[in-house]
Amino acid sequence: MNAMLIDSTRCVGCRACQIACKSWNELPSEKTQFFAGKGYQNPKDLSATTWTLITYNETKRRGRFDWVFGKRQCMHCLLPACATACPVTALKKTPEGPVVYDSSICLGCRYCQLACPFDVPRFEWDKVFTKITKCTMCADRVAEGMEPACCKACPTDAIVFGERSKLLAEAHARIDANPLNYVHHVFGEKEMGGTCVLHLSDVPHQELGHAGGLSEEPASAYSRPAMASIPFVLTGLGIGLGAVSWVVNRRQQLAAQQKEIERLHEIAEQAEGKEPGGTNS
Amino acid sequence: MTDFFKRTSSGLLVLYALAAFGLLLIVYRFVMGLGAVTNLSDSYPWGLWIGVDVLAGIALASGGFVVAGTVHLFGANKYHSLTRTAITTAFLGYLIFIFGLIVDLGRPWNLWRALFNWNHTSPMFEVAWCVMLYTSVLLMEFLPPVFERFKLTALHEKWKTMVPWAIVFILGIFTFAMTDSLIWTVVVVFVLLFWELVFRAGLSPRSIQMPLLMIIAGVMFSTMHQSSLGTLFTLAPHKLHPLWYSPMLPVLFLLSAVMVAPAMVIFESIVAERSLGHRAHMNVLSSLGRAMPWLLGIYLVVKVGDLLARGAVSDALSISWQSFSWWGEVLLGVVLPFTLFLSQDLVQKRVGLLTAAALVVLGLVWNRVNVAVVGMIDLEGDVYFPYWAEIFITLGLISLGILGYRLASLHLPLHEEETAATH
Repeated sequence: MNAMLIDSTRCVGCRACQIACKSWNELPSEKTQFFAGKGYQNPKDLSATTWTLITYNETKRRGRFDWVFGKRQCMHCLLPACATACPVTALKKTPEGPVVYDSSICLGCRYCQLACPFDVPRFEWDKVFTKITKCTMCADRVAEGMEPACCKACPTDAIVFGERSKLLAEAHARIDANPLNYVHHVFGEKEMGGTCVLHLSDVPHQELGHAGGLSEEPASAYSRPAMASIPFVLTGLGIGLGAVSWVVNRRQQLAAQQKEIERLHEIAEQAEGKEPGGTNS
Repeated sequence: MTDFFKRTSSGLLVLYALAAFGLLLIVYRFVMGLGAVTNLSDSYPWGLWIGVDVLAGIALASGGFVVAGTVHLFGANKYHSLTRTAITTAFLGYLIFIFGLIVDLGRPWNLWRALFNWNHTSPMFEVAWCVMLYTSVLLMEFLPPVFERFKLTALHEKWKTMVPWAIVFILGIFTFAMTDSLIWTVVVVFVLLFWELVFRAGLSPRSIQMPLLMIIAGVMFSTMHQSSLGTLFTLAPHKLHPLWYSPMLPVLFLLSAVMVAPAMVIFESIVAERSLGHRAHMNVLSSLGRAMPWLLGIYLVVKVGDLLARGAVSDALSISWQSFSWWGEVLLGVVLPFTLFLSQDLVQKRVGLLTAAALVVLGLVWNRVNVAVVGMIDLEGDVYFPYWAEIFITLGLISLGILGYRLASLHLPLHEEETAATH
C-alpha cells in the first residue's frame, strides 16, 4: 500500500508543496489575512481550495527559540473515520492507499467532517452545487505510476512516497540513526489504527498542528458495538413485542369472556330468583 | 384579503408570517449556498439545525410509536383517545424534519442514493434508512382517518390486507441493508411472518382495525432511529465534550425519546385544547403524568450512572459553559419535572401538567442542542453561534409543522369525540 513519509526536520518551509498541490489539482488561490500566533503561516487553515498546508510553529528547540514546520493534509487512514461515517460510500479507502471521494453520490451531510479526528475534509460553503474536498494523495498521478505532486516538488526530500511498510522501516531507521534529533514517535504509525501518511519530527507532533490524544483503535471501533447490536435488537423486539401483545390481548379477551359469563350467570340467577318469586306472588 | 386578516387570530398570523419568512430564507439558501444563511464552518459542520430540527424534532415525534405501542401492543386502552393525534404529530413531524434535512444537506438531490450505495458500517446509513422506512410506516399508520374522512371504504379494506405484507417486506430489506446478512434477514422475516400467521389464524386475538405488525414495525423502526441518532456521535470521541460523549449515547437517546413522548402528548393536548378547542381528556393526561416520574427516574439513573462509570463527574463539577449547560439540561429538564410530576395535586391540574410537561420538552431540546452544538464547541478556537437566518429557518419549519397539525386537526377525524367508538 502506498504511503508518504514527511520528515519535518528536513522541511525548510518553502511551501513548494502547497503550490504544487494547487497547480496539479487546479485549485484557485484564496484571499488570506494576517492572524495571530503562527507567524508566516499562510493561509490560516486547510480549506476547500487548500488541501495541504505548511504550518509555521514558533517553538523551543534545543534550548532556543525556533521555527518548526509541519505539513497538514489528509492522513489517508488504513481504516478511515470518514469512510466509516459516509452513508453512501462517497468516501472510500482504495487498496492502493489513497482515500478518495466521489461527489456524484455524496449527500453533503458533512458527517465525514464531524468524524475525521484529523479535521481534514472541507466543505464548499459558498456554493450551491457544493462538494466535500480534501487531499487525494494525487490518486490520479499515483494511478499513472507517478508520485504525488507535493512529493515531486519538495526540494529537500522532506516528503517521500513509497510502500508503507518500507517507509515505516525507513522512519524507524532515521530515529535509530539519530536518536537525539527526533521525537521517538512516528505520527501515523498507530494513530486511529494507522495511516498512510507518516510524520517524523524533533518536537512533539501536536506542536506542528497535529491532533493529540488519539486512540490507536480505528474510528469504527467506537460505533461498532451499537451497529453490531442492530440485528439482535430487531429480532428481540420482533419476538418480544409480538409475544407481549399476544399475552396481553389474550388476557383481555379472557377477562372479557369471564365478564360475559358472569353477566350471563347473573341474568340466569336473576331469572331463577324471579321465577319462584313470580309464582309466589 | 382584509377578510382573511379579520378572521385570523394574531397567534395564527404570527405562525403564517414565520412560516412564510422561513420558506423565503430557504429559497435564498438554495440560491446562495449554505454559507450565506448559516454560521456553519469546517470546524462546526453541524449546528442549530442538526440539534433542533433533526435530533430534537425526531425525539419529539416519539409520541407516535410510544402511544401506539402502549395502546395496541401493551393493551393500555385508556390511552386510545390519544393515538390518532400522536401518530399525526409524528407523521407531520417526520415530514417537516425531512424537509429541514433537505435544507441542511449540501447535495440533497443525491438523497435517493442511500437506497443503492450501502455502507453497513455507517451510523448515518442507519439513520437514512430509518428516516425513509419509518416515514413509510407512519404514512400507513396515518391513513385510516383519511380513509374515514373521504369514505374510502374499499381502499381501507385493501390497506388492512396489504399493510402486513408491506411491513414484512420493508423490515426484511432493512435488516438486510443493516447487516448484509441473509441469515439475519430470514430470521427477522420469519419472526414477523410467524406473528402475522398467529394473528390471522385467530390464535392471538387482534384488533381488526389496526394491523399489529404495523405497530410492531413502528416500535422497531423508532427504536432503531432514536438510538441511531445517538450512535452518530459515538464516532466523534475527540470532539464531543466528555459530559455527553458516551458509548451509551444510543441508549440515552432512546430512553430520553421515550421519556419525552407522554410529556409531548400532554403538552400538545392542553395547548391544542386552548387553540383548537378540542377537549383534553384530563383523566387520561393525569394518568400519563403519573407515569412520568418512572420514565424520568430511569433516564436520570442511567444518565448519572453512565457519567459516574465514565469518570466524568469532575467535568460536571468544573466551572465552564459546558458544565453550566449540562446542569441546566439535567436540573430544569429532568429533576425539576420529576419532582413536579410526583405531586398528586399538580398532576390533576391543567396548569401544573402543562408546566411540568413543557419542562421535559425543554430539557429534551436542551439535551440535543448540547450534544450537537454546545458539547462540540472548542472554546480555544472559533466559537459557533447560529446566524439569525438559521434561527428563522428553524422557526419557520416549526411554524409549518404547527400549521400542518392544525390543518389535519380541523379536517380529519383525529379526536375521540368525533370518531366512532369502534376504533
